[in-house]
Amino acid sequence: MNCHFRRIGALVRLSLLELWRRNDMFALLVLALVLLVPLSLARPFGVSGAVRYFDEAALLLIWGYSLFISLGIGGRLFTSEFDSRTIYPLLAKPVSRGELLLGKYLGGVVASLSALAFFYALWMVSAALRGGEWLSACLLQAFVLHAMFAAFAVAMALCASFLMTSSAGMTILAVLLPAMFFFGRRLPEYAGNVSGALRPLVYAFYWLAPHVEFFDMRQRLVHGWGGVDPVVFLAVVGYGLFYTVAALWLAHVIFKRKKL
Amino acid sequence: MSERVFELDGVSRSFGQVKAVDNLTLSLGKGEVTGFLGTNGAGKTTTIKMLIGLIRPTSGTVRLFGGDPSESCTRARIGYMPEMAYYYPYLNVRELLAFYGGICGMDKQTVKTRTDELLEEVELAEAAKRPLKTYSKGMLQRAGIAQALLNDPDLLILDEPFTGLDPLARIHFRELLKRLRGRGKSIFFSSHELGETELLCDNVAIMKNGHCIYHGAASAIAGDGGANLERLFLEVLEKGGVR
Repeated sequence: MNCHFRRIGALVRLSLLELWRRNDMFALLVLALVLLVPLSLARPFGVSGAVRYFDEAALLLIWGYSLFISLGIGGRLFTSEFDSRTIYPLLAKPVSRGELLLGKYLGGVVASLSALAFFYALWMVSAALRGGEWLSACLLQAFVLHAMFAAFAVAMALCASFLMTSSAGMTILAVLLPAMFFFGRRLPEYAGNVSGALRPLVYAFYWLAPHVEFFDMRQRLVHGWGGVDPVVFLAVVGYGLFYTVAALWLAHVIFKRKKL
Repeated sequence: MSERVFELDGVSRSFGQVKAVDNLTLSLGKGEVTGFLGTNGAGKTTTIKMLIGLIRPTSGTVRLFGGDPSESCTRARIGYMPEMAYYYPYLNVRELLAFYGGICGMDKQTVKTRTDELLEEVELAEAAKRPLKTYSKGMLQRAGIAQALLNDPDLLILDEPFTGLDPLARIHFRELLKRLRGRGKSIFFSSHELGETELLCDNVAIMKNGHCIYHGAASAIAGDGGANLERLFLEVLEKGGVR
């Protein structure tokens, strides 16, 4: 058991070191800082509605950055190993493909959540500077659901990198996930307006595609509506876990059969 | 008969219609050094991949220390260096070895001790703090051999270890392999460098179109004439077998 933890620990450390030392990620974090700080601190004419608008925009940016980082990390977890041929010495070690997949995934999630925690810390600082409530149950719920989404996005990107080229997978997910985020809840409305074979297809897509909007608590946070019912909260976490496990299971099946 | 480190028995491997390895029977004894020769596409890398459990044979059996190489615990006794890997460029060699040590399930203290020994052995101690992206090809090969030796393996499998090395790096690498042979390690390496093979190996195996057309002592094919391996290699390839 100790050996399993050491293997997984080594893979997690590698992902964190990669995130820390890769210049593009560092540049993204700096860019996020540059964009988020003015947005969070802006007080346009002291109008509270406008302040909320800027708050919401800042949170939307956090969502965008976190999606980009999660997909970038998840998509690269194995493609970088294949490209640099380091997958060969790695798989020649006494490590199973399942352990490798789990370790790389957890490493990716820890790296992605580190970036997310940084963004939320920034949000809390700006809230505190404005004299607002900088720590609340609603914020904790928002962070946990956002983290669940990030973990799910890493799993989806990892799985897609086995099904197609990494860039194709990332592009599809970078379109699909934001589309679901903005329009997912409107799909039944759209299905009602179409006829013929398209209608069941839209409904099937509605039930099968991951509903990213479930994880979004920006409105509650910005308007001070408070957290959601704990049962609903746990149900959404379970929903995210279901999709995450399904994506990892599919990735494992493909990786196990992959010709090297 | 000495203990068999690995045994390939009637192994074949196809990729679609292409038969990369065809009915190969080959084994390596404890402490033996065997050079694995053949032209490009002869089936050397496919054989090595089957040996370390990366791919399964279409037919036949592969035994590594008596076990199945696709089982992770069987691979605990081997060290493998692929043909030119570009190790994580953002790590230094100490971090690289700490990572692979963790993957092997080794504890921190053992990894540290082994790292110190290996960095001296492969002459990378002075460059230990430099990121791997600043390393030359020869230095990367030495980092590669260090990761392969980290768990003190009984069998070392090297895929084209001399590729891209300058003459001085080649001499250093050859001396390193000789020292390992002196310590009783079994070594199996594929190569196009016939001179190096001749200087290092007890045995050679020559592949052509997926078949092993010769396996035995290098001296046996050299015969009384004392001809070099290069001429004999060409002769064996042309005839498709031994004289």
